[in-house]
Amino acid sequence: MAKEVSAAQFQAAAEDILADITDFGDAVQAEIRNHTGGRRKNAYVYIEVAASEWRNLAKWLKKSKKVDHCSMITGIHWPDNSDATWQVVVHLMRSGVKNPGFVVSLDNEDLGKKNPKINKKMLKETRVDIESLKLIETPLEFEISMTIPETRTPSVPSVADIWVGADWNEKETWDLVGIDFEGHKGMRRVLLPHDTPTGYHPLQKQHKLRYHDFNEMYDDAQGFGRKPEDSGRVK
Amino acid sequence: MAEMWISMGPQHPMTHGLWTLKVKIDGETVVDTEPDLGYIHRGVEKICEARDFTQITTYCDRLCYASANTWSHAYIYAAEDLLEVEVPERAEYIRMIAVELQRIASHLMWLGAYCPDVGNLTGLVWCLREREMMMDLMQELGGSRMHYNFPRVGGVKRDLPIGFAMRCKAKLELFLDRIQEYEALLDESTIFLVRTQGVGYAKAEEMMNHGVTGPNIRAAGHNYDVRWAHPYSVYDELDWEPAVERSSIKGSDCYDRYRVRVEEMIQSARMILDAFTHFPGGADTHYSKEDDKIFTENIWGKAPARASEGQTGFHHFEDSRGESMFYLVGGGEERGKHPYRISIRSPMFITIPYASKCMIGYKIADIPAIMGSFDPCIGETDR
Repeated sequence: MAKEVSAAQFQAAAEDILADITDFGDAVQAEIRNHTGGRRKNAYVYIEVAASEWRNLAKWLKKSKKVDHCSMITGIHWPDNSDATWQVVVHLMRSGVKNPGFVVSLDNEDLGKKNPKINKKMLKETRVDIESLKLIETPLEFEISMTIPETRTPSVPSVADIWVGADWNEKETWDLVGIDFEGHKGMRRVLLPHDTPTGYHPLQKQHKLRYHDFNEMYDDAQGFGRKPEDSGRVK
Repeated sequence: MAEMWISMGPQHPMTHGLWTLKVKIDGETVVDTEPDLGYIHRGVEKICEARDFTQITTYCDRLCYASANTWSHAYIYAAEDLLEVEVPERAEYIRMIAVELQRIASHLMWLGAYCPDVGNLTGLVWCLREREMMMDLMQELGGSRMHYNFPRVGGVKRDLPIGFAMRCKAKLELFLDRIQEYEALLDESTIFLVRTQGVGYAKAEEMMNHGVTGPNIRAAGHNYDVRWAHPYSVYDELDWEPAVERSSIKGSDCYDRYRVRVEEMIQSARMILDAFTHFPGGADTHYSKEDDKIFTENIWGKAPARASEGQTGFHHFEDSRGESMFYLVGGGEERGKHPYRISIRSPMFITIPYASKCMIGYKIADIPAIMGSFDPCIGETDR
């Protein structure tokens, strides 16, 4: 029995998503991409979506495609690009097969000890055959990208009510990158101190590290000769 | 009775690190909680934007002081995805051994910290004794005791030392014997069972919706494991099964989360022992870096030293505490060899808010038992 999901299964699952996603029209551009490193070049789904359509897409993915895991939400600041100064990247996953899954050891007597009502008869073999997974049960990775043109108050709709896991990811993105999430309840600083000045978001590119230039670092490895660019200004 | 808020932390044995849990209590009962993180935020993501792809490995080691190897490997796989690098099979096996040894050491550290939480001091010293064996083995690989800086983009730092396989096998077999001692110590201790069973129920679907992964979700019966669901490395060639606990209809309690980690240690040991039976190139031979067995030949010749602007790479990785992930964006020609943006998904950053909500309805005395069972590590949480 196969131990893990094969490349062909990922490809088929990704094609299934692409076939159905055309209902959204031009607001959603999807393609299949492949990982490029390591031993496996598995397929994943890359989607570019307009921020206005993001909540509809999220609901559709959750309900129709059983995408149940919001892995990461993050933001990127591109100050040189006025058409897409802000980018929000969302990584979603479909976790695939549900309970009861593998049973590690049928002879595990501890289970009997702990709950005498569970006997071996109830613990019949429920091993999942990975080779015959349905498309909807195949684990799959999603990368979703949204861009926002130049603005002082970047914002995209929140999906914290669809996946609760998005809640703290969105808080972190606002805290560090400064992208707000409409409809998010209880936005606050999570990693920076609570009394951080309003509008200070350190991962924006105007804030530079002392070693921001690669070559300078070797000229003055300890950094004694230089000060941060914003030295002297009130932070 | 009147409700009131109290702060547990930042200095409190329950926290296993440095953070505050604000608890709203009504008498002895927890009514509401709110975690407050960020006490040791070091800005690793920002620092890494000014470092090149090789230098970042050391920062990733320091993300989690209990599980350094898994974090640097998680980064390396993402960097290889960005730079389009392939790795020799022997190097993949060595990486797998390093990661699984670290997983055992991390779970032992967890169990060692958890036992005093629930009133069993003996467990602490026993676990640290076994963890010492794992650290000795990893020291042979990486050279240092806590932060190994072992993987490289395209391979590993050095090959297995002569005699490593023999010592590793002997120690793992001893470890598998001693696991039975833990089971005797903890599973038959009334205090341990009273404090962990029926406490801190968490359901699999709820956890998945909250983004809780790893041993915590497998304790609730969901078999989600990145090592088979989004495969990487050589896990398909090894003899193992994901450790999944059959939990009750109410979900998994603290005891399930303890059982699943013990089972996972056994599976990791089984994996390593199996790897030595068919190690590519032989487990007892030692290759130097010039052989292309452990390092992709002429790595910077093959791989672009600079990732083009906007090019991305990411990799989901099964960390000791759940699914970790690195997302890298290339900087292009002008920005040199360092990434334009690096983003880290920390499993505990997502799990701590969920674990805090799990406590509602239980007593104050249950808080250390519940929080400890989720295996918090604040180094990676605050980054």
